[in-house]
Amino acid sequence: MNTRLLMMLHVKVATPQNIGAVPHGTRRTPPLIGGDFEGPRLRGTVLPGGSADWLLLRADGVLEMDLRVTLQTDDGALISMKSFGLRHGPPEVMAAIGRGETVDPRTYYFRTTPRFETAHPAYAFLNRLVAVATGDRRAEGPIYTIHEVL
Amino acid sequence: MPGLQEERDSVNSRPLIILRLATSATEEIGSTRHGNLSIFPVTGGSFEGERLRGKVLAGGGDWVTANADGTFELDLRVTLETDDGALIHMTFTGVRDDANHYFRTLPRFETAAPKYAFLNRLLAVGTGEIRPDGPVHVIEEIL
Repeated sequence: MNTRLLMMLHVKVATPQNIGAVPHGTRRTPPLIGGDFEGPRLRGTVLPGGSADWLLLRADGVLEMDLRVTLQTDDGALISMKSFGLRHGPPEVMAAIGRGETVDPRTYYFRTTPRFETAHPAYAFLNRLVAVATGDRRAEGPIYTIHEVL
Repeated sequence: MPGLQEERDSVNSRPLIILRLATSATEEIGSTRHGNLSIFPVTGGSFEGERLRGKVLAGGGDWVTANADGTFELDLRVTLETDDGALIHMTFTGVRDDANHYFRTLPRFETAAPKYAFLNRLLAVGTGEIRPDGPVHVIEEIL
């Protein structure tokens, strides 16, 4: 699979809203309170309103992630990003992440598949691609390395 | 952390399956609130990879919406049956941009068969191609 770096995205998360046991698992929703992104073709900040990660811990121990975030480029374009992802790993690694410790991201599976929407002509290429991301969960929020699938 | 920079330079993947779909006549729904919708019914097909192989059951389809920019938004759901009798629910969304020869999908899988439970835990990327006898998707697991 050929890819190229699209951006590094840092998001800052607030305390999750614990929805609790729902029919498909345990749901919690951490709102995003900011962040930034930078790549060869675009850079800017994460808008806090309307951005969150809808998390569902499944019965098989896999965390499903449904991130929705609004990006604002340094030249004023708004980009809507949605990404579905999966996170799982050895119990001790997941427990360390739960305690807010920084762990080597190679010790667990944290992958997402971002899609983008924008009306801004300079960034219209984002409408026409799919992407894959590798996540690194830190206490203040995840860092995503996002690659365009070529 | 050593090695992290290398990981940032690319995404590792490995082959999962090659999926061949047989489709019947397109159902043209026409103009909808998101664009022109066409449904490509799936009547069968096959899939093959190192870890699983079998056939595609009739009854699925690809819901294809024409975007205003000339690209197509894909929304497929099919049922796969392995050669040892397991059923796998597969979906993907994706983009087809004929002007740029870009046809990529993001497949997801669900199964209750323990042997194939690894499919529940992975994300994948597909490269599609329209051939005279139907679409072919080369699907790779994202490692």
